[in-house]
Amino acid sequence: MKIWLLRLPFRHLKEHPGRSLLGILSIALGTAVYLSIALASHSALQSFRAGVNAVAGKTQLRLQSPGTSLDETLLPTVRQLPPVRAAAPVLETMVEIRGQENFSALLLGVDPFVEGPFREYRFLTATGLDQETFLKFLTQPGWVMLSAPLAARLKLAPGDTFTAAVGARLQTLAVAGTFRTAGDLYPLDGALMLMDLGQAQEILDRIGRLDYLDLLVHGDLATAARQLREALPPGVEVTTPGAQAEYMQGLVAAYRLNLAVLSAIALFVGMFLIYQSVTLSVVRRRREIGLLRTLGMTRGQVMLLFLSEGALSGALGGLLGLVLGGAMAQAALQMVAQNLTSLYQPVSAREIWLEGQVFVQAWLLALAATLAASYIPAREASRTRVRAVWYKEELEEKLEKWAASSAYLGLLVLALAGVGAFLKSGHGIPWPAFVAAFLILLGFALFTPLTAWWLGRLLAAPSRRLFGFAGDMGCRYLSGSLSRTAVSIAALATALGLVIAVVAMIGSFRQTVENWVQKSISGDIFFGPAVFSTSSYDQFLPPEVLRELAQDPRIADLYHYRCVRLPFRDRYILVIGGSFDVLARHGGLWFRQGDQEETVAQARAQDRVLVTEPFAEIFGVREGEWLTLPTPSGPQRLQVAGVFYDYRTDGAAVWMDIKLFQKFWQDQKINAVRLFLHNKGQRHEVLSHLQQTYQSRYRLVALSHEDLKNGILRIFDETFALTYALEGVAILVAVFGIITTFLVLIMERERELALLQALGASRGQIMGMVLVESGLASFLSYLLGALAGSVLALLLILVINKQAFGWTIQVCLSPDVYWQTLLLVLALGLAAGAYPAWRAMQPHVATILKEE
Amino acid sequence: MIQVQTALRAAQKSAPASPLIVLQGVTKTYRQGSEEVKALQNVALDIGDGEFVAVTGKSGCGKSTLLHVIGGLESVSAGRILFQGRDLSRFSEEQLTRYRRDQVGIVFQSFNLMPLLTIVENVALPQILRGTPSQEALQLAESWLDRVNLRHRRDHKPHQVSGGEMQRAAVARALINRPALLLADEPTGNLDSTHASQVLQLFAELQRQEHLTVVMVTHALEAAQYADRVIKMQDGRLLP
Repeated sequence: MKIWLLRLPFRHLKEHPGRSLLGILSIALGTAVYLSIALASHSALQSFRAGVNAVAGKTQLRLQSPGTSLDETLLPTVRQLPPVRAAAPVLETMVEIRGQENFSALLLGVDPFVEGPFREYRFLTATGLDQETFLKFLTQPGWVMLSAPLAARLKLAPGDTFTAAVGARLQTLAVAGTFRTAGDLYPLDGALMLMDLGQAQEILDRIGRLDYLDLLVHGDLATAARQLREALPPGVEVTTPGAQAEYMQGLVAAYRLNLAVLSAIALFVGMFLIYQSVTLSVVRRRREIGLLRTLGMTRGQVMLLFLSEGALSGALGGLLGLVLGGAMAQAALQMVAQNLTSLYQPVSAREIWLEGQVFVQAWLLALAATLAASYIPAREASRTRVRAVWYKEELEEKLEKWAASSAYLGLLVLALAGVGAFLKSGHGIPWPAFVAAFLILLGFALFTPLTAWWLGRLLAAPSRRLFGFAGDMGCRYLSGSLSRTAVSIAALATALGLVIAVVAMIGSFRQTVENWVQKSISGDIFFGPAVFSTSSYDQFLPPEVLRELAQDPRIADLYHYRCVRLPFRDRYILVIGGSFDVLARHGGLWFRQGDQEETVAQARAQDRVLVTEPFAEIFGVREGEWLTLPTPSGPQRLQVAGVFYDYRTDGAAVWMDIKLFQKFWQDQKINAVRLFLHNKGQRHEVLSHLQQTYQSRYRLVALSHEDLKNGILRIFDETFALTYALEGVAILVAVFGIITTFLVLIMERERELALLQALGASRGQIMGMVLVESGLASFLSYLLGALAGSVLALLLILVINKQAFGWTIQVCLSPDVYWQTLLLVLALGLAAGAYPAWRAMQPHVATILKEE
Repeated sequence: MIQVQTALRAAQKSAPASPLIVLQGVTKTYRQGSEEVKALQNVALDIGDGEFVAVTGKSGCGKSTLLHVIGGLESVSAGRILFQGRDLSRFSEEQLTRYRRDQVGIVFQSFNLMPLLTIVENVALPQILRGTPSQEALQLAESWLDRVNLRHRRDHKPHQVSGGEMQRAAVARALINRPALLLADEPTGNLDSTHASQVLQLFAELQRQEHLTVVMVTHALEAAQYADRVIKMQDGRLLP
């Protein structure tokens, strides 16, 4: 097409910027939201990855034993293996720095004499790392090297001391010196410290144990890995340092996808507005199109002309969105990092990683969205007859005829959505269900023309009785202006549907979690290190504390809890050891089928396991079936005694009696306990006693059942805060659509409104007419949105969550979200109509009616 | 021929009718950028009750503005307009609305029918605005459609009928409330000669039957022949 002709869309845009502004702004907003979330997710993971890489240094391979630690006697054996060039033992744990602010830091227990080839620590000798201090670091407990950023943050110099919770104990640590890493890369925003390996083993009660062995190898990595696997005992995994980051990436894949889909909602709603904008442009320029065709422009060229108009809006909106998104990314990063820390692993990310690819992706998405939205009106424009004398009324008639076809198409689309809802993707992301969600929204949107037409007709008579002329005309305009109103109604309905669906899903989820907490979290007091921390699996209760608790006469039963994370098939699962005898007596698991007490007792007696519902759904395991579990004692074939509901984040878990666990894992450590008191009335007394007795010496948290429940729900609410924010943006875009639709409508009806005034209509009648129309349009948006949202909620609850996470969520549709949304929409809709109507009634009737 | 007919009609109305509309020193000024445009300059005019007045003049002479100020569509910058002795400039918004609805009927050059309404509904609209129950208003509208020979088009939309038919519907709409005054702004401007002639004859007939006062702005000399009096305007002034 001649490039010269592209100046036409430019000219139109330049001469009527206001008409295109809404579409551009909506695309800009949608792009901004999508980009900010993408940047935040990417940055959070990149920060995590950078931290992992910083710790890994030049390590080529890593030996570890998932779910347990390595015996340090392995080290000399490994060093003598042919592929191994060098080996560095490491103990790794999270500590909590106590002071003016409490925060987490990574502690590495290392052998400083072998670290050199692996990790280059540039000790800042100017700050005084002398021989004496270095000896203290090697031989005396509690001496650490701080990273330079950490030292600066704590304002500490060599020789200073500070308090930290190391394991379960509060320790006073002394600063031997500070260091920088090569490239100044650190995990957790610089919060890194080093301790001599031997001292770390002692302070953490892990004498003779290692978390991993880092290796440098000869020759090819793959060959070396294979040789190592052949030589090493079973249970020792050969992996790469990057596997941890890959694991994290896999862990949060579903979370990121959900976030990406939600962040694209605003863009999706913006597509409706672009569609409307291009459609209006086509209607207004029918004569121009006829003229161009008369002069020889082909249909294809006409279509390209209008596609380019849409593309121009998309390109401009996308660019604006990139700027806005970059500005919003920092705020999004805080929320995302907090979510990831609460749900998965500690992630500290303060800076946005600007990745060009992410920007390009966002801009291309905006462009693709606008082209998709512009396609149908552009095709319509290309079909304009050359000699068409086109009245808007003819377009409306055409749309009325098409309304029924559109509704049938909507039914077909909903049927397809139903098919998609029943398909499974195999494993991982439930793509068919996500497509079904999109189809549900599209299907209901396709009902809009018919329902608008029908509602206007249905309510004309009662409106006339109630509101007179204003009511009658308002209804007529609703059903007679489909080319203007239908798309805006559809856009708002889509946004509302999404809001209702997500709120209903979250509400149902929350109610289910509340029920689960009531039924499953038995015990009067929970006691252990950092109960809510995602790093709590390597934190243990000190043995002396356990002994003291066992002797407390107020405690009737003590439930022991031990947890490890290990790879199982293509995922990671939790394996949990618990006191099944206590569980059988007091309850605490909500089984899918069977009696709780009987099932647990049976599991204990017959060395069977219990699995969570997510585990059963993800791995396709049912009650009575067998599974083979990798353990430090070798693979164990175990029968499933029962499946129970569980809503922890990493939900796929296998539970066994603590004795069985200790037999397989060959350690007696306990992560946490639940206390069952003889007298529940003594709960506060026991809580206070625990806090007073242990708080000063240990990092232990004692929570009542109520506190734990509230804590779980608090994390739940924080997790969904971002979701609510994204929903709010989508609603904002849709409301923009409604407001501008009515502004445009009123502007185009200026002549008719002036005529009505000339014929003797009062301002009240005209205002009433516009309010009836805008009120009905909003109400229709609400109706369609509520229906779509309810169906979508069922899909989210019964299909998507089930397939993605394996959770059964009880459907709980609260009426609150429905009536609150109705009030909001009606208020916004009436306001959207009132201002344009008021503008239209300013006294310039004659000017408007003057003959051209 | 035109002048003879006009003179005859003028002679028939030998006794001057009491003025329905009186314009006293009416001036209307617009501001266009930094310039002031005087659309009407010190216009003084009496229009008798039942009189048919044609206003002629070149484009931009102020004809339509004159019509608009008489019809209460615009306010004046100076002077007074008296309708049945009442000063329009002192009317409240509500009074003006009632004046336009009950006392004035307007016919436009480009018909200005409501596109969403059928022909019969367009005609009934002023009655509905007045508060007449819709059934009654529609029945009355049908009787007016009979009078303008448009009954067969009652259920058509405006874009489905011809220009002449639209204008006849507009005339029926203008008269359904039996106003005292009919204002017509180039009513035949968008019609061919046949339809124009039909509309003008309709005007004349209804004017006689309803004892209407008509003020018609027109370029066409043929239209002016239907009037009792022809007023010429130039540069916002009435020519003697």
